[in-house]
Amino acid sequence: MEGWGGVAIMVALGVGFGAVNVALSYFAGPRHPTPEKEAAYECGMPPVGDARERQSVKFYLIAMIFLLFDIEVAFLGPWAMALRDLGWPGFIQIALFFAILAVAFIYVWRKGVLDWGPETDPDYVRPPKPGPAVVKRYNYGTGN
Amino acid sequence: MDGSGPVVAFWLLAAVTLVAAGGVLVSRNLLHAVLFLILAFIGVAGHFVLLSAEFLAMAQVIIYVGAISVLLLFAILLTPRAGRDNGETKAFPVGALLAVALAAVFLFVINDTNWKTVSESPALAPEALGEALLTSWVLPFEIASVLLTAALVGSIMLARTAEEEAEDALA
Amino acid sequence: MNGIDTVGPQLSVLGAAGLILVVDALMPQHRRMLPFIALFGLIVSALWTVSWVGRDFAPADITTFDGTFSLDQYSAFFYFVFVGITATVVLASIDWVNREGRGQGEYYALVMTVCSGLMFLSASRDLITIFLSLELSSIPQYILAGWGKDKRSSEAGIKYLLVGAVASSLLLYGMALLYGATGTTLLDGIGAYVASPEAEANRGLLVLAMVLLMAGFGFKMAVVPFQMWVPDVYQGAPTPVAAFLSVGSKGAAFAVVVRVFIVALGADLLSDDWSMIFAILAAVSMTLGNVMAVSQTDIKRMLGYSSIAQAGNFLIGLAAVSGGDERFTLGASGVLLFVAAYAFTNLGAFVAVIAISQRIGSDQIKDYAGMWRRSPVLALGLAFCLVSLTGIPPTVGFWAKLYIFNAGIRADLGWLVIIGVLNSVVSAYYYLGVARQLFTGGDESTERVPTSPSISLSLGAATLGVLVFSIIPMPLMSAARDAAEVLTK
Repeated sequence: MEGWGGVAIMVALGVGFGAVNVALSYFAGPRHPTPEKEAAYECGMPPVGDARERQSVKFYLIAMIFLLFDIEVAFLGPWAMALRDLGWPGFIQIALFFAILAVAFIYVWRKGVLDWGPETDPDYVRPPKPGPAVVKRYNYGTGN
Repeated sequence: MDGSGPVVAFWLLAAVTLVAAGGVLVSRNLLHAVLFLILAFIGVAGHFVLLSAEFLAMAQVIIYVGAISVLLLFAILLTPRAGRDNGETKAFPVGALLAVALAAVFLFVINDTNWKTVSESPALAPEALGEALLTSWVLPFEIASVLLTAALVGSIMLARTAEEEAEDALA
Repeated sequence: MNGIDTVGPQLSVLGAAGLILVVDALMPQHRRMLPFIALFGLIVSALWTVSWVGRDFAPADITTFDGTFSLDQYSAFFYFVFVGITATVVLASIDWVNREGRGQGEYYALVMTVCSGLMFLSASRDLITIFLSLELSSIPQYILAGWGKDKRSSEAGIKYLLVGAVASSLLLYGMALLYGATGTTLLDGIGAYVASPEAEANRGLLVLAMVLLMAGFGFKMAVVPFQMWVPDVYQGAPTPVAAFLSVGSKGAAFAVVVRVFIVALGADLLSDDWSMIFAILAAVSMTLGNVMAVSQTDIKRMLGYSSIAQAGNFLIGLAAVSGGDERFTLGASGVLLFVAAYAFTNLGAFVAVIAISQRIGSDQIKDYAGMWRRSPVLALGLAFCLVSLTGIPPTVGFWAKLYIFNAGIRADLGWLVIIGVLNSVVSAYYYLGVARQLFTGGDESTERVPTSPSISLSLGAATLGVLVFSIIPMPLMSAARDAAEVLTK
């Protein structure tokens, strides 16, 4: 348990700093509330509709992928600490661990789960780079 | 491990964890339940620190407090039309009664047991953990990675939209 | 790296799963190959296990990976069962997956992952490995149960997931208490502690842990009172998946329960308690499963309830392990024999149901009337499997029942055997009722029900297995006995 005193002091400082500032502005700050100031967003457009609209499930998939690779990275820690004792056998084992997850990564990548935007459209073709040969002149309809 | 510090810390953490866990049960708003759950996770991480299992504490914070709570919050975010409140259940009184009875049995047994106490500090340092994971427990360790892969494939399969599937089937 | 040979069968299954995913993602034009990659992996796995046959397993093999895993006749027996089950399921799924069109790679990869999990489960000798293997076999099954996009399938997936999560948490709690009491997660270490005099003082804790383990495994074995998910999941899940669940998950649960309870909790201190609890669970499961199955009109639900009753039969073997001179062996080998016999018989019945329901688009038993005229092969195969499930001589189901009832009588469980026999009579009513429907009635349609080669092969393999072991059951019995003796050595 040694060495946690510093952590405790840091936690206290962190919590204290936030709490003191909130408390100070609560007690010492001037308050003249108006309906505009009470709004969730003081500046910008007035909110329209319900905030709880339907979101893409892609967010969830990204979070899921993040979670899995997060766990993977967390396993790296203990291996790195014991690196020298474990030697090559340990390296092979962790490499196998990563190889298995690499299969997952290939799968995720090729199935387009990481694609985010118009590229997922099969008909979408990236426009060719503009060069002298493909420059077209448009007539923007002034009539002559 | 001497002095009253760890004892005080234990009871404080136990109180925080239990109150937060109770909060998950009683809060009517799902979002509040998730926030309570995060607090309970943090309490458990504190217990790991008390047991000198720093790596587990770190993993608990990174994986549970970090990633899993985000996943839970996303799940609430992504279900717009479902109710966001904990449902009422008719089985509540029966469930509560059973829970109390079960808790009584557990408390009795825990009190009755002659627990094995470990005198020396257990080998929970990250380097010892790494060695254990990659020597004795290498099989479960590799099984875990297969499990993660299978879970990933499955969750993607379940969550994909019909259009994406049709596109993939044509490919 | 002596471990590679030890886990070879699982590695070849998992290697095939990985290859399937990569081929599916990188070379989608070769998707038709996927089931054959799966079958190839399963064949390699079976051959690898065959290479061990006749080998005298040294103690070093039995405790590979620092005692967390074992290579013995017991696990080899189950490897054959699970590889056979998975190969039959893969064959029976080809039509359905092609018609469904989506997620072909994922489907086969997940089925193979489940297979490897079941194999790991039957060979684990350590609580952590057991838990991870159990999850490895369960999580893909939750996903497979919810594979269809219809409401019923989603319900099946969610229900199975929630019930499975509760079961896993009970199991984990039990394991944690066991670890707390004994200070080890190795089954051998726990067994040594339970047999030692100091365990007396902690009997309360050990009993509590034992009950939690029973509850956790009970969900997977699908015995009463942990059976409520079975009919809904079997009915809602796609039929090939339901077939897989009904035999794979149940078989592996019994494999691990027999090992855990004999090796870790087998001492006199606990064995009388658990054999009595298992005897009661057996009686209740058989009775409730059969009584509920009688009134079913959906054949998948009927098979679901009947699988609960069959699990009750398996439990007679578990209850019988603590009695008699041949302590453990007779009851345990009875469980093994019954698992193997039930696996192929029930699978055969399910494959026939897959073939029929795909064509007639209904799972209702009344629509099966007159199937004899529409497809004689399917009707005969299904009827034969149902007769074997009933336990009418001279089918393999009969031999298994005879063996396990004999174990029960030797263990002074005469009352349980009487309940078992009475239940067999009840089960005859609904099993043979379906068989009768197949051959009579149903004049309205004489349209033939064709079968595809893959389904025919799958049904043929399952029924051939049932037929061969019906005529010559001795090899299977001696294999089960050799396997069970490993645990009691």
